[in-house]
Amino acid sequence: MIRHLLKLVWNRKRANALILVEIFFTFLVVFAVGTLGLFLWDNARRPLGFDWQDVWAVRVNMQAGSDDTFTAEQVETAARLVREVETLAPVEAVTGAMMEPFAFGQYTSGRTVNGRRVSMSVNEVTASFAEVMRFDVVRGRWFQPADAALAWRPVVIDEDLAREAWGEEDPIGRRLGDPDPKSPEPERRVIGVVRDFRHHGELSGPDNFVFYHKRLGHPQDRPPRVLLVRVRPGTPVAFEEELTRRLQAVAHEWSFEIAPLAQTRESAFRLRLTPLLVGGIVAFFLLLMVALGLLGVLWQNLLQRTREIGLRRAIGASRAEVHRQIILEQLLLTTLGVLLGTIVVIQLPVLDVFGSVLRPQVFGSGLLSASVAMYLLATVCALYPSTLAGRVQPAEALRYE
Amino acid sequence: MIQLERVTKKYRTERVETTALDNVNLTIDQGEFVSIMGPSGCGKSTLLHLIGLLDAPSGGSIALDGKPVERYGDRALARVRNERLGFVFQQFHLVADLSVVDNVEIPLLYRKTTGKERRRAALAALDRVGLASRTHHFPGQLSGGQQQRVAIARAIVGKPAVLLADEPTGNLDSQMGDEIMGILQELNQEGTTIVMVTHDPRLAERTHRVVRLFDGRQVQ
Repeated sequence: MIRHLLKLVWNRKRANALILVEIFFTFLVVFAVGTLGLFLWDNARRPLGFDWQDVWAVRVNMQAGSDDTFTAEQVETAARLVREVETLAPVEAVTGAMMEPFAFGQYTSGRTVNGRRVSMSVNEVTASFAEVMRFDVVRGRWFQPADAALAWRPVVIDEDLAREAWGEEDPIGRRLGDPDPKSPEPERRVIGVVRDFRHHGELSGPDNFVFYHKRLGHPQDRPPRVLLVRVRPGTPVAFEEELTRRLQAVAHEWSFEIAPLAQTRESAFRLRLTPLLVGGIVAFFLLLMVALGLLGVLWQNLLQRTREIGLRRAIGASRAEVHRQIILEQLLLTTLGVLLGTIVVIQLPVLDVFGSVLRPQVFGSGLLSASVAMYLLATVCALYPSTLAGRVQPAEALRYE
Repeated sequence: MIQLERVTKKYRTERVETTALDNVNLTIDQGEFVSIMGPSGCGKSTLLHLIGLLDAPSGGSIALDGKPVERYGDRALARVRNERLGFVFQQFHLVADLSVVDNVEIPLLYRKTTGKERRRAALAALDRVGLASRTHHFPGQLSGGQQQRVAIARAIVGKPAVLLADEPTGNLDSQMGDEIMGILQELNQEGTTIVMVTHDPRLAERTHRVVRLFDGRQVQ
């Protein structure tokens, strides 16, 4: 029967073209939205790499004309700010950084390692960053104040970067980036490896990450743009007022914006979920329209085939067999549409569009779920017309004009 | 083989009730070639549809091989139509998007037969009606007479005991009509019971018995 129906579907390819095109495009949209959803879900169940709770971010605005230049006085003021905050009773630890976790925007860098270009996200942090953000070093060590005296610049990388740059080899002591006589960049060596650090939050994909050592109070290092303050659990919101007052006392001309990391995290969630929500709504309405379209086109096709259905009933098809045949035809058409869609979609990993961001399992699951969704849609749309087709009285259908 | 007792058929709409057949009694024995004649609208096709189990009577009873069919469910009726009966229609009712051989195979799709068996039986049936060279043509590429021969091949592919033909030559010229009638007579001589609706007295003369209807009543 399948072969018979395949012939029928193929020989009616012009009549079926509209349904096929609808299924093809819907498959692409459902795949895109489904894969995005699965990608975010897969990311969300992986470890974040740090602890954001009870951490407050203090964004420091030095009110300077240029963001790239700074004075020795500003460097010293920033160091005094950190020392001042450390003295406050609710504070457990303080660190300085170029940007706080979950923040919108990023600093990325590309370096050539063993002749291969490796891209990575960067944050410059002071030595107490690991203590504030509570993560462990799995290999080597974290920054120490004594590192300021080194002739080269130490870096700590995450496991993603270690894997991509050196595979299974030990990265400790290796130079991050091949020597480049044209670049004024200082030599940077790996001193430690931390677990995958998901700077952009739970919903972000895998990312190579490197920490540069920011030397607090060092005249060559820009003062931190943000202070991260770990407070004792249960610290009231009112502490924000006292914290601002103490900071303002040290730096009268500067301004400060204080927000718990939990708040920044919420914003990051919203930012990442918005495309999914918008895509989901678009996909839902598209599915609804396609479902109605399929129902209409299928109904129309069946009306045109009333005499054929009557004939099949006359020569031996039961109601159930007619019902089954219509659904099978629809599923075969869906298979053609899904196959076409799969051929298009499969080009994405072949052309390395996703790089290492999208895991193959997520891609496969996206493909599978989109296919299942299309088969479900096709079956649901075919149910009613096929039931009506099954109820056709052969004697009436044979007379149908 | 086929017995109709006091069979009536009424069509009802919201306001009108029309009697298409009234108190028809008919017995058709195995191997007979019976023609049904009468003016347009007298109920000939309705009677053929009832005999072919394509429709249910409003009253009376129909028995096939001695078994009343009233209590048959949809599946059982479909099975009887598929295994015991063959149909030939005035309009041929071929599926335009399927080749000749695929059209002939359709009744066997509803039986448990393999693809090879289906193909062998379909080719044999086409050979039987003289269309062995047109198996991969499509219905639109054939003349009316050839299309009707395909329809006959489809009707006999499952080796039915009874062949029901509803004005099989109605859309054909007299020469092609004669050819089709010749095939039906040969099938009858080979043992197939045939019931044929026709307007043409010349064709009816070539059958064993003529049943005449007028205004839904059997007049002879």
